[in-house]
Amino acid sequence: MTELSGEPPDLTGETPEAPEPTPEGTVPSVAARLAFYQRAGGVITPLLTALVAFLIGGLVVYATTGKNPVSTYKAIFKGSGLSWLSPVSVHWHTFYPNAVKWTGWNTGNLTALNLQQTLIVVTPLILTGLAVAFAFRCGLFNIGGNGQYTVGAITAVQFGVWFSGLPGPLHVIIAMAAATLAGAAWAGIAGLLKATTGAHEVITTIMLNWIALWIGSYLVGFNGPMQDKREISAPVTKSIAPSAHLHVFWGNPLLQGLHIGFFIALGALVVYWILLNRTTLGYEVRAVGFNAEAARYGGISVARNYFLAMAISGAFAGLAGAIDLLGWEFNLDLISVQTVQIGFIGIAVALLGRNSAIGIFFSALLFGALLNGTSSRNLDPSIFKPELAGNLTRIIQGLVVLFVGADLLILYLWQARKKVRLLQRKAEQA
Amino acid sequence: MVDEAPVLELRGITKRFPGVVANDHVDFDLRRGEVHALLGENGAGKSTLVNVLYGLYHPDEGSILVKGEPIRLHSPKDAIKHGIGMVHQHFMLIPVMTVAENIVLATEPTQGGVLLDYRAANKRVAELSSSFNFAIDPGARVESISVGQQQRVEILKALYRHADILILDEPTAVLTPQEARELFAILKTLTSQGMSVIFITHKLNEVLELADRITVLRRGNRIDTVDRQGATEQGLARMMVGRDVLLRVDKGAPSVAEPLLSIDDLHVIDERGLEAVRGVSFEVRSGEIVGLAGVDGNGQSELIDAISGLQRVSSGTVKLGGRDVTGVNPSSILDLGLGHIPEDRQLRGLVLEFSLAENLALHDFDKPPDSRWGWLFPRQLVRRARDLLKRYDVRGGGPQTRAAALSGGNQQKVVLAREIGRGPSVLIAAQPTRGLDVGAIEFVHRQLVEARDNGKAVLLVSLELDEILSLSDRVLVVYEGRIVAEHGPDVGEEQLGIEMTGGGREVAA
Amino acid sequence: MSVRAEQLQRAAWTRASAPQTIGLVGIALGFLALWLALPPFGVRTAPAPVAVGILAAAAGIWAISRGKVRVGGGAIVIGLVGIAGALLAMRASSSNLEGVFVWSALLAATLRFATPLTFAAIGGMFSERSGVVNIGLEGMMLMGAFFGAYGADQTGSWVGGIFIGMLSGALLALVHAIFTISLRADQIVTGTAINFLALGVTGYLYNQHYGNNGTPNNLPAIPDVNIKFLSHIPPHGLGNFLYNSIGQLNLMVWLSLLLLPVSYVVMFKTPVGLRIRSVGEHPRAADTLGISVYRTRYGAVILSGALAALGGVFLSIGFLNSFTENLTAGRGFIALAALIFGGWRPFGAFAAALLFGFSSALALRLPDLSASSSAAWPVLFQTLPYVLTLIAVAGVIGRSIPPAAIGRPYIKQ
Repeated sequence: MTELSGEPPDLTGETPEAPEPTPEGTVPSVAARLAFYQRAGGVITPLLTALVAFLIGGLVVYATTGKNPVSTYKAIFKGSGLSWLSPVSVHWHTFYPNAVKWTGWNTGNLTALNLQQTLIVVTPLILTGLAVAFAFRCGLFNIGGNGQYTVGAITAVQFGVWFSGLPGPLHVIIAMAAATLAGAAWAGIAGLLKATTGAHEVITTIMLNWIALWIGSYLVGFNGPMQDKREISAPVTKSIAPSAHLHVFWGNPLLQGLHIGFFIALGALVVYWILLNRTTLGYEVRAVGFNAEAARYGGISVARNYFLAMAISGAFAGLAGAIDLLGWEFNLDLISVQTVQIGFIGIAVALLGRNSAIGIFFSALLFGALLNGTSSRNLDPSIFKPELAGNLTRIIQGLVVLFVGADLLILYLWQARKKVRLLQRKAEQA
Repeated sequence: MVDEAPVLELRGITKRFPGVVANDHVDFDLRRGEVHALLGENGAGKSTLVNVLYGLYHPDEGSILVKGEPIRLHSPKDAIKHGIGMVHQHFMLIPVMTVAENIVLATEPTQGGVLLDYRAANKRVAELSSSFNFAIDPGARVESISVGQQQRVEILKALYRHADILILDEPTAVLTPQEARELFAILKTLTSQGMSVIFITHKLNEVLELADRITVLRRGNRIDTVDRQGATEQGLARMMVGRDVLLRVDKGAPSVAEPLLSIDDLHVIDERGLEAVRGVSFEVRSGEIVGLAGVDGNGQSELIDAISGLQRVSSGTVKLGGRDVTGVNPSSILDLGLGHIPEDRQLRGLVLEFSLAENLALHDFDKPPDSRWGWLFPRQLVRRARDLLKRYDVRGGGPQTRAAALSGGNQQKVVLAREIGRGPSVLIAAQPTRGLDVGAIEFVHRQLVEARDNGKAVLLVSLELDEILSLSDRVLVVYEGRIVAEHGPDVGEEQLGIEMTGGGREVAA
Repeated sequence: MSVRAEQLQRAAWTRASAPQTIGLVGIALGFLALWLALPPFGVRTAPAPVAVGILAAAAGIWAISRGKVRVGGGAIVIGLVGIAGALLAMRASSSNLEGVFVWSALLAATLRFATPLTFAAIGGMFSERSGVVNIGLEGMMLMGAFFGAYGADQTGSWVGGIFIGMLSGALLALVHAIFTISLRADQIVTGTAINFLALGVTGYLYNQHYGNNGTPNNLPAIPDVNIKFLSHIPPHGLGNFLYNSIGQLNLMVWLSLLLLPVSYVVMFKTPVGLRIRSVGEHPRAADTLGISVYRTRYGAVILSGALAALGGVFLSIGFLNSFTENLTAGRGFIALAALIFGGWRPFGAFAAALLFGFSSALALRLPDLSASSSAAWPVLFQTLPYVLTLIAVAGVIGRSIPPAAIGRPYIKQ
């Protein structure tokens, strides 16, 4: 601890002239800190972050249940179906040539099925990750992904039930557009409050989450207007019309195959990158995120950007809700309205992915695999109880966010590595 | 007196920061009852040296002796224990707390060891304050008293802790000439009672007025220590900078034409609901530099913000090139021909995490050729940046370099390149040289004069009277939101100082 | 007196000027509009509440036209909500109304709901006054709730529950402190992580120890304080009211009330409080006088965790006598809003907590209002505390000024 409270580390690297220190009393915004964190260690730091989080998660497993964490993680990995991506399987306990077996890409086996399920979870995670990331780039912390997701899901169900006569693609597009707008409007409330009264978005988005939860509960359950009156014991909405279903392109549509929503999410990643880096809107958002005061002096309306960034954020999350509903859920039940977590995991996805499109893709893959691998369907209870594993996911998610926030810790590890190298070199010279 | 050991001695102090040696084997000694000035440019290592002395920095080499005894200072607590007190340039006062709370903090008198004894605290502070004729109300909130009084609270803080060595870091930077005079009188009283004072400054005239001895620092090295007798401004300046310096800016006579910026009976309410600008009217004409002199916080910031559309005008008009721009949004005002070098380049002038190319596009990114229909053309930004960086001699990076990686002087050049480079008709420069070294100051001044010679109307707002006097063709004095006087370029500093404080009226008592 | 001080005084006067006052009156009228339709008034026709509500909105519009946008907006919103609420109340039968608005029971429930908020808000005050934002209050409360129940279960005593619960909250707060103070991580991001961690850890341990059966029914509970003599106070109606409202409250409710003056004195009348505040306002100034910024902040943050956890302990073994996953349901955030709303002061935060507590108490009882038990709309009243919080942070009634250095990590030179 005493080590860490010393001089701030040299961040200048190779610049010959010492840069001016940031003026006293100003602290870099979240976005600035993240930019700094991104420069600090390339792709190594998020890997390190995830690794440490999993390591501690493993310790928790061992300490509380006495089970071997490695076999637990192995079982989770197996359930995720990610091994399908590799055409060979490696058997460490035997020797070459028996150690490596060609398995190929069999689309019908259990692993393929697991991978389909994982990618179905990855899809909304990418989008809620983008929802958090886009706001982040504007210096805003959107913790309201959950509420925006719920609002999007509700809207998508309603539009999927209505217009049942429409041709398929049109129906899908209308339902998705409505859900996207609904998500944008819901997040826009927080943006508007931030822009006009300065109300902190963290608190407003959290409150909006709970409001969305109860409005959703009212609509879907408790004999509310959207509830299917034939289902009393387990409240649920009517199912959407088949014309609103997303096309399944891999696997059996009846067994929850992978739907084209996955490509929509991939497309959203591209849209995110272009929006930020190739449009004037993105330029403004980034300027406000890095230094709102300088942006204001440059003639950029900070309030407008707060509103827009939140609305666009919410649009991503609303779209996530729509894709889940139109892709595989088809109706919305009370339990999922009250227990949805996708929006929160989006925070970890965005932070671990360092708000970059590629990073978000990979961290969504990681968390999607973790979620699917720990689901009660995929995890063998004799190895590890799925309810425990689900909470283990939350712990890992919390640890990831914790460590990502502590850029300084990562930085010190990074610098320590440099120092060790330097010492080695000195020792060699001596 | 001569045989007596100095109350304080620094031997061979060296302090390194990554990439810089801030103090390189500096020797320094302080005699009982003297004012010893530490003179040097920004970045010469003065602040580092006194921070070492106050226990805030730990020297890499060298030793500190108080009354002949070597001591180690791990924290300000140790310094206080050895009778060292410090008045920081940015006051270490808590605005929302009372004077007494600020003074007794960390050594509070208590009732029964638990409750803070406010009555005893107020009484002791009142006694101490009146024994030096400070006339400060211990119960007043610090935010409600004047800057000069706040400085006295800082001095009281040191005296309350029985300091006999007092360090003042650039104490006159925030004061008017009159307030500075009062401070000097206080310091003379203190030294006559046996206090010793270290006085840090980069103002030559103050040194010659107040100091008994003068130590000059340059780039972390001690150049020399001289007695006041025999020292001259020119000689000290040469020691400070290492070469002869121009004390005045070279410029020809102005060729004034039509007014480009006209302010008429402007009123502005600030964020706290106070009227910060109260009926200001003036014009700035093509081809002249108008200097706005005043003590910080007399409505200058609000005035500039109102002109550039950043703050709502409650009544009155602003005309830019004959066109009424009152209530127009900031972006349009910039497009109508305003250039604005904001007060704090790191906070307001630049997005430090942006590349230089992106920073240079801060006003024009939303119109061709930088963008079209909302699409941004990054290559065009780089192309323009390459040209501007060359023209304004920005060193230390190219278009893709992050602004944060540049030195202060080069950062300011980037701001100048953006604001002057787009060819405005009116240029507002707020504190354009704050914290810059002499070379960069000269560059900025040359650019401002050049802009004026090119027929722009330049409004210069500065707290440095030297800067106002050496650049301006006309000088306006602002006090409490009003323009209280107007002068030609030859007005004396004394005169301005009086007017800046409300015509000699005693403000604080 | 200096000119500036004079100006400030004048501004203080203008701030309390007519438009502001009228706006506040409008807000009061909005509440009155609703109240008219409730017992004991029980107005059953529309005109009176509607008229009062419209008056409230009119006052709001006038205030807005005079530049008091926030107060005016608040008056309009509350006026309209008042009308809507009054009309809704009229749809209910008056016997149902009287069943819901038993003021003594409502007062008791308000205090019960306000208690966890008060503990957490006071905890948050210590942390935030020292300059550390504590979004993690929610997680610290949740830790207290689980470990309070677990501790009571394991030690067989509610006292053990309280201590183990507080310890768990303090430990989680220590994590927050290490990351935000020593590692200078972003305080809000870390707070979010703290909440995730608490959710995961408590969920994990809950499933491991109690699984599907839930916490045992015989959890040792924190006792109620029965003040029997209150019911004997004449006249009979008053005595009954007193006994029914404050005569049977939980010990923790009284503790929270005791905490108010204690925390006030500590924060504003002792050297410790002065130092905490100085570190939150201007850490460098405190540092130059020899106050350890890190140590002070560590202490304040850890204390905040222990106090927030106490709120959680009350929830699990003082109120509900059980633990379920995510038991706190956002109460930590509401406490944070109460803290902000109350201007980072104990009694201000308590007043806000009472308001939120009242809305929760109301939301719980309002479903009884509707004539048919199957109507869905009373569920919507569950949003009331959250909507109120939203309105509060939007700063309808003046914005409070946070500690100057809040959210900024301190870097010792």
